Amino acid sequence: MKRTVITIITFLIGLNAFSQTIIMGKVTEAGGGALPGASAYLKGTYDGATSNENGEFKFKTSKTGQLTLAVEFMGYEPFSRVLDLKGDTIRINVELKEAFNQLNAVTITAGTFEAGDKKRAVTITPLDMLTTAGAAGDVYGALQSLPGTTTNGESGRLFVKGGDSEESQTYIDGALVSVPYNSSAPNMATRGRFSPFMFKGTMFSTGGYSAEYGQALSSVLLLNTNDMPEEDQLDLSFLMVGVEAAGTKKWNSGAITGTLSYNNLKPYMSLAPQNYHWTDEPESTTGAISFRQKTSKTGMFKFYSSMDNGSFTVSQKNMDAGGKLTDYKLANDNVFMNASWNDKLGEKWAISSAASFTNNKDDIHFDQTHVVKKIQGNYLKSALSFPFSEKFILKFGGELFAKTFTQNAQISGVTHDNSFTNHTFSGFTEAQIYTSSKFVSRIGGRVEYSDYLNSFKFAPRLSTAYKITDKSQLSLAYGWFYQNPVDDYLLYTDRIKPERADHYTFSFQSSANDRTIKAELYYKDYRELVKLNGGEFYLPTSYNNSGSGYARGLDLFWRDKKSIKGGDYWISYSFVDAKRDYRNFPHEAIPSFTSKHNLSVVYKHWLGGLRSLVGMNFKYSSPRVYNDPNSTVFNGEKMLPYRSLDLSWSFLYRQNVIFYFAANNITGFKNEFGRTYASTPDVSGNYPSAAVEPSSNRFFVLGCFITLTRKGNANQLDKIE
Amino acid sequence: MKKIILSIAVVLISLVSMAQKPEYYQTMGEKLGEYANCKGVTDFQALGNKFEMIANAEKAEWLPLYYHAHCYILMSFMEQDATKKDGYLDVAEKSVNKLIEMAPAEAEVFVLQSFYLTGRLVVNPMERGQEYSGLSEQAIGKALALDATNPRAQMMKIQMDMGTARFFGTDPKSFCPQAKDLLAKWDNFKPKSPLYPNWGKDQVAGIVKGCE
Repeated sequence: MKRTVITIITFLIGLNAFSQTIIMGKVTEAGGGALPGASAYLKGTYDGATSNENGEFKFKTSKTGQLTLAVEFMGYEPFSRVLDLKGDTIRINVELKEAFNQLNAVTITAGTFEAGDKKRAVTITPLDMLTTAGAAGDVYGALQSLPGTTTNGESGRLFVKGGDSEESQTYIDGALVSVPYNSSAPNMATRGRFSPFMFKGTMFSTGGYSAEYGQALSSVLLLNTNDMPEEDQLDLSFLMVGVEAAGTKKWNSGAITGTLSYNNLKPYMSLAPQNYHWTDEPESTTGAISFRQKTSKTGMFKFYSSMDNGSFTVSQKNMDAGGKLTDYKLANDNVFMNASWNDKLGEKWAISSAASFTNNKDDIHFDQTHVVKKIQGNYLKSALSFPFSEKFILKFGGELFAKTFTQNAQISGVTHDNSFTNHTFSGFTEAQIYTSSKFVSRIGGRVEYSDYLNSFKFAPRLSTAYKITDKSQLSLAYGWFYQNPVDDYLLYTDRIKPERADHYTFSFQSSANDRTIKAELYYKDYRELVKLNGGEFYLPTSYNNSGSGYARGLDLFWRDKKSIKGGDYWISYSFVDAKRDYRNFPHEAIPSFTSKHNLSVVYKHWLGGLRSLVGMNFKYSSPRVYNDPNSTVFNGEKMLPYRSLDLSWSFLYRQNVIFYFAANNITGFKNEFGRTYASTPDVSGNYPSAAVEPSSNRFFVLGCFITLTRKGNANQLDKIE
Repeated sequence: MKKIILSIAVVLISLVSMAQKPEYYQTMGEKLGEYANCKGVTDFQALGNKFEMIANAEKAEWLPLYYHAHCYILMSFMEQDATKKDGYLDVAEKSVNKLIEMAPAEAEVFVLQSFYLTGRLVVNPMERGQEYSGLSEQAIGKALALDATNPRAQMMKIQMDMGTARFFGTDPKSFCPQAKDLLAKWDNFKPKSPLYPNWGKDQVAGIVKGCE
């Protein structure tokens, strides 16, 4: 029946076709190369053809009159022309222009390691941050396998391109994190406050960053939290050092996650040998809530709040008391809130707003001293962007950094109260201009006014990138960067100005077939650094901005996911040459936080048969310097080189159960971070000292992650794979 | 009785629409016939492009877009050059997203979405495995919620379950009875019109063969 109908219809159509026009031609790209696979057709009809391997197409049509010929090919701008169809043969050659597409266009790569967007040539993904051996689940630990960073084992914080750790800032969903690290005792390593499992994307900029970011002399780390969860679930983690439970409830346009965790290092520390004596092992309790709500088809509101309470007491040699073991007792309370809202306003305008609130209190007892330090930080930001065209995007916005720092110190019964409150208001604007899909420039500037310091600063920023070939590009970045001096100085003086660093970065990057190479040369010119003139530290007049310094170096990165089946490795190498004359330095000298040579080799291998991902990380940093007051040479002593071989193993036992094992410094390399000295010499005129050691030579983690869902098959693979 | 009335209605409706758009039905029919002759990426690209032309001319029809995306997904599976795979899937993605807006009540659309997501996964299973297997499963879940009898949705579910079982070292053959059952009943499922998706029987036959 149907067939009959079709036959009749075909016949009827056939009657219509009395005249036929032939349309033929060749499709090429700019430069003349043939484009096979392009689609050439008459709009509104079914008549058309696909170009062959020589770019040629040919088709017939029975249509007459004026019709539009369209030629389309993915990645190219569509072509169209009106043709007059009269039953003859029309020859037409078409040259297609490459379409401008921001996703395929050149991107500014100077100083940046970006991850999370599947389309971009990424060098490090969020997954990598979790699976890198040696990181032990710490965001900052993972970043220390990237070039441009120097591992300071007695700190654990980020030290970037010859800069101090205070020179780096962390942002979550666009809002500043005032206190990103856990509190720790002097010369003992800390970790980041936030679990890397919270984040879906990261951008780590080691210099030359956009005008959007201020108050950082060396680097900014931008962390973006996960979007909507897929379903309701309960995540349970059991580690040797603690337990965590996280429950997620999802609804149509939003979700809420509540997390509770408790950590206590006592059982672990009683098993593994420690270099220090712990009177009270570190113990902490954290509660967090995260809330996500879609505000429109394009908009998302996120809120995160955490309360954290931690304490420990560790015995350290008190060199001012003849090396007597003295308890250093610390209790920390931290409240953090973070909110962000991103949406489109109308067709073109996009808005991103963020706010954060921090209340951090450290209560420290050491010998006859009791110090309470409180930081209250508020941060507000709003930025608008408007694309005048795909090739010209303007962004502008404003920020407020507010901080109140109070310190109450009771030293041998005498009370000293100090505090300061500062508001830094800033505005920025930046234009991103694509001259072609091969060349992009970003030009911007920011102004900052700090009321406590009564200082007004303008910082220009400029960066460009040029695509040499499909796979390779060059990128340049230049800018001035300002940051308010450290809290410890602002407590005593408002007569100093923000410190400044000028960055010059030149980078080359090439990616093809899962292999990436990146090389970066940089020069940083530090100016207006705070310097102590030798007066008493509590006098406002003891500080000035006459310090200066420089850092220059070369960063190399090579990643290869291709050459070894199931394997993936990267090698980072950084060379740093840095000197400074600042703080209490008597003259220009190498600062103690930089290593001349830094190497990190990371390898991961997926063992399908064992359902296991095994990882290895070898790190080396050449000896850093430290100062021995007994010597006449400032910063003239050398530490041991830093070496560590770390392993990790993740085993997928069942779909929703994962076992995880990691060991740091498995071969037990001896690491030592210089010596601490007494503040006054003994009777013979010598400053007594003690070695600064890591809290343990080796570190082990053993854990189990369980995910429960209604369907019962989700897992926390993204946590550790 | 109801079934008969329904079938008659369907036939009538398709006849009426055929009479209204004879060129559409004829060309679509012809092009669907060409699937069997397609041997590689180039063939499927030409065919996919043809479906796109039809889709451009027939803005109200979702089936041309469906086949357009289907061709490009198949291309991504056949392509040897890994860097090109994502390019084809970018093209398919646009059509899949349009389809979800045009025909949100069609189980077939979500089967196709799942197929597309599997394509993305296959490009780099190490990195994309976790994310895309979840998304792909969700799409199949939606398809089955719309029409639990859809044989393509059932087939992809079985494929996924077997893959998971293989990965975790449990016996994938426990899904064999399901596959055999599906193959036996395959022809009972009548597409809504001659132009509706009707692929997948060979794949199920393949699964069943693998069971023996």
